[in-house]
Amino acid sequence: MSASPSPSHGQINTDLLRPLLKTSWKFYAVVTILGGIVVTALVSWLSQMFYGFGISGIRWPVYWGFYVTSFVFWIGISHAGTLISAILRLVDAGWRRPVTRCAEVITVFALMIGAMFPIIHLGRPWLAFWLIPYPSERLIWPNFRSPLVWDFFAINTYLTGSLLFLLLPMIPDFAVVRDKSTGLRRRVYTLLALGWRGTPKQWHRLESAMAIMAIAIVPVAVSVHTIVSFDFSMAPVPMWQSTIFGPYFVAGAIFSGIAGLLIAMAILRRVLHLEQYLHPIHFENLGKLLLVMALLWGYFVFNERLVTYYGNEPSEMAVFWRTQRESFAPLYWTMVTGNFVLPLVIMGIKRFRTITGCVIASLGVVVGMWLERFLIIVPSLGHKYLPYSYGIYRPQPVEIIIAGATFAAMTLLYVLFVKIVPIISIWELKAGEHQPPDTTHPAAEERRLREQHS
Amino acid sequence: MPRWGMAVDLDRCDGCGACVTACHAENNISTVGADQASRGRAKHWIRVERYWEGEFPDVRLKFRPVMCQHCGNAPCEPVCPTYASHHTPDGLNAQVYNRCIGTRYCANACPYNVRFFDFFNPSWDKPLHLQLNPDVSLREVGVMEKCTFCVQRIKAATIQAKAEDRNIADGEIKPACAQACPAQALVFGDLDDPESAVSRLSRSSRGSKLLEDRGTKPAVTYLSRQS
Amino acid sequence: MKAVYALYPDGHSAQQALSRLQAAGVHDRDITIQSAQPMENFEFGHRDKATWMWWIACGGGLIGMASAVGLTWLTEVSWPINVGGLPIFAWWPNLIITFELTMLGAILATVITLVVTARLGRGSTIYDAEVSDGKILVGVVNPSESAVADLEAALTAPPGAQLKKI
Repeated sequence: MSASPSPSHGQINTDLLRPLLKTSWKFYAVVTILGGIVVTALVSWLSQMFYGFGISGIRWPVYWGFYVTSFVFWIGISHAGTLISAILRLVDAGWRRPVTRCAEVITVFALMIGAMFPIIHLGRPWLAFWLIPYPSERLIWPNFRSPLVWDFFAINTYLTGSLLFLLLPMIPDFAVVRDKSTGLRRRVYTLLALGWRGTPKQWHRLESAMAIMAIAIVPVAVSVHTIVSFDFSMAPVPMWQSTIFGPYFVAGAIFSGIAGLLIAMAILRRVLHLEQYLHPIHFENLGKLLLVMALLWGYFVFNERLVTYYGNEPSEMAVFWRTQRESFAPLYWTMVTGNFVLPLVIMGIKRFRTITGCVIASLGVVVGMWLERFLIIVPSLGHKYLPYSYGIYRPQPVEIIIAGATFAAMTLLYVLFVKIVPIISIWELKAGEHQPPDTTHPAAEERRLREQHS
Repeated sequence: MPRWGMAVDLDRCDGCGACVTACHAENNISTVGADQASRGRAKHWIRVERYWEGEFPDVRLKFRPVMCQHCGNAPCEPVCPTYASHHTPDGLNAQVYNRCIGTRYCANACPYNVRFFDFFNPSWDKPLHLQLNPDVSLREVGVMEKCTFCVQRIKAATIQAKAEDRNIADGEIKPACAQACPAQALVFGDLDDPESAVSRLSRSSRGSKLLEDRGTKPAVTYLSRQS
Repeated sequence: MKAVYALYPDGHSAQQALSRLQAAGVHDRDITIQSAQPMENFEFGHRDKATWMWWIACGGGLIGMASAVGLTWLTEVSWPINVGGLPIFAWWPNLIITFELTMLGAILATVITLVVTARLGRGSTIYDAEVSDGKILVGVVNPSESAVADLEAALTAPPGAQLKKI
């Protein structure tokens, strides 16, 4: 895969610090456009608060729509970082090194965007702080039996954990930037580097902290999306009260996270000229993971639908046919194509497992996973038990703008981040590539050579 | 401690809708206009569900007034993050507007779809604002509301009975819908009093609960139509 | 700040320098080593490895668990509200809150321990910007006047050494 020699120490520094130290007009153009879209969404949200929630498409009985779809979707995307950084770190997969920070950044920003939606979809968002357990003068605490309160705790824990998991390995890189810059930039990075010197003691503490965080963040990530799935499975709605929702949602989250990561990596590789660091082997390995997750997703969907089909309960079957044959069928089959057929074909055939192939498959997955969240929520809510109260949901401009602008917000946050922090962890990359051969354990050396020359 | 419940005789109900109108008047429920109603924003705390079978002219119409069933195992209660939806000791499912932050989870969880969201701030064209009931609070945009079994009337009767040092008589409390029904199809009372009208009707062989197999334990019994 | 140190291009030279310094009778705690990567494959990379961090993380988790149990139990029992017939202290859902706060406690304890024990944020000893370019720094801070000549000899012996004095 990669026949060129590994870049030297100095070369790595130059390549990975270039985005921080040089800015072109394209950066400002991109930030302006994306910022404009995000501001439009903010204005839409403010008008929703000002004119009343009625300007959205929410109606009796479909009380959740685009906002909750986006919420679940973005929390799902956030599982990218945990998988790559934490799990691959724990199994010591060397090829993860250039990819860890890209993935962790996706996690943090996707979480921040996703966590906005429980506030955006509230009828009275200015009272969202009532979810915080504090001794209030109203003599009441949050209801800890409510899945929404579990969401609050889980998302905050995951966000804190992911943010720290992202920030800790950035400290040595901040030190590198500090040494290479001058003036105000130097002072900012001196502050950020927290006095990092690179003594063995500091390295050991950092590695221990990273190991503990990796072990802690994986169960938290699993719990977060399970708890998000509990938002559905705790309500007696046809096709919601399924015990499979927990694992189903976690698998779907990791699935969409890998897809998001692949897209981000491909864009970074092109825009920041990181061809020497993000090799086709990285995309191929992630593509294989995408294939595995597609199979897993298909397995869960099959389980869920077979059990419903066999049970033949009238209200559940009504929703079942609604998605498969009736009004939601076009969206349903698009979802199946994007989530299952496309990744299987593209990632399953070695010839197609190129960077372009990975990106196409990932785009299909992103679309498919968004549709999956939508198809879980809306068909069920619109077709519960009493026929007189069935309803059809039509999204209105305010919802479409806000849901769409999240993609712009994610891109904007990413672009700003890449400007401030090296997107590939410099010290981890060097630590992986520059191992002196004669002191390496034979098995590790064999593995390293295999990875480099496969 | 009484346990409030209702019996609805579907044999008597002719779908006139007087209960709906009375409920709107008693509980300060605003109408939303034809456009918003067609978009599903109407807030009929009690609604008359109308189903028809057959082709014209051999159409058979069935009416069922559906209001909050005040379930013993209410699925709307555990999911509310702020305890806005909870169960009172006298068997009512209470909705506390001041605690509600409008997550609408309770409405999704309700199998009967009897919970409604205030999509806009309510408004009454003058002089209809003079008709508002001072015993019932106005709900602002963003909160959930639903049938309360006219809790203001229950509370008033309870206070009156306590002041007069007596028990509440059967039939003393009539929610607006029961009061307005010309066919007296809606009967309200204490289910824990075996002699009350609602208890006797609940024990009728015609009686059944709506969506009983969901396990919600509703407090409303429907007496099936005979003709 | 008075110090004598040298920059080495790779781990072998740095290890030799360290050995010579130890042979010259300098205590481990007086020797400063800095590198741009964790040098696990050399003996000097294994200094100061012992840490209480794992135990402290467990302790933080226990504190988190205790706070969660306390929060849920105290609030649910002090203000008992009937919701859907669930018990007043519903331990199944409270387990979720307990799990989350346990993990949060472990994570925060880890990070605080890192910042404190790695002595981040405190003004530090010597530093040379060339460390970021891959050089390894080995030196002694505040040496006694008489020992300086010996230290210089020890530090310049390995190949590729760049001696510096401040």
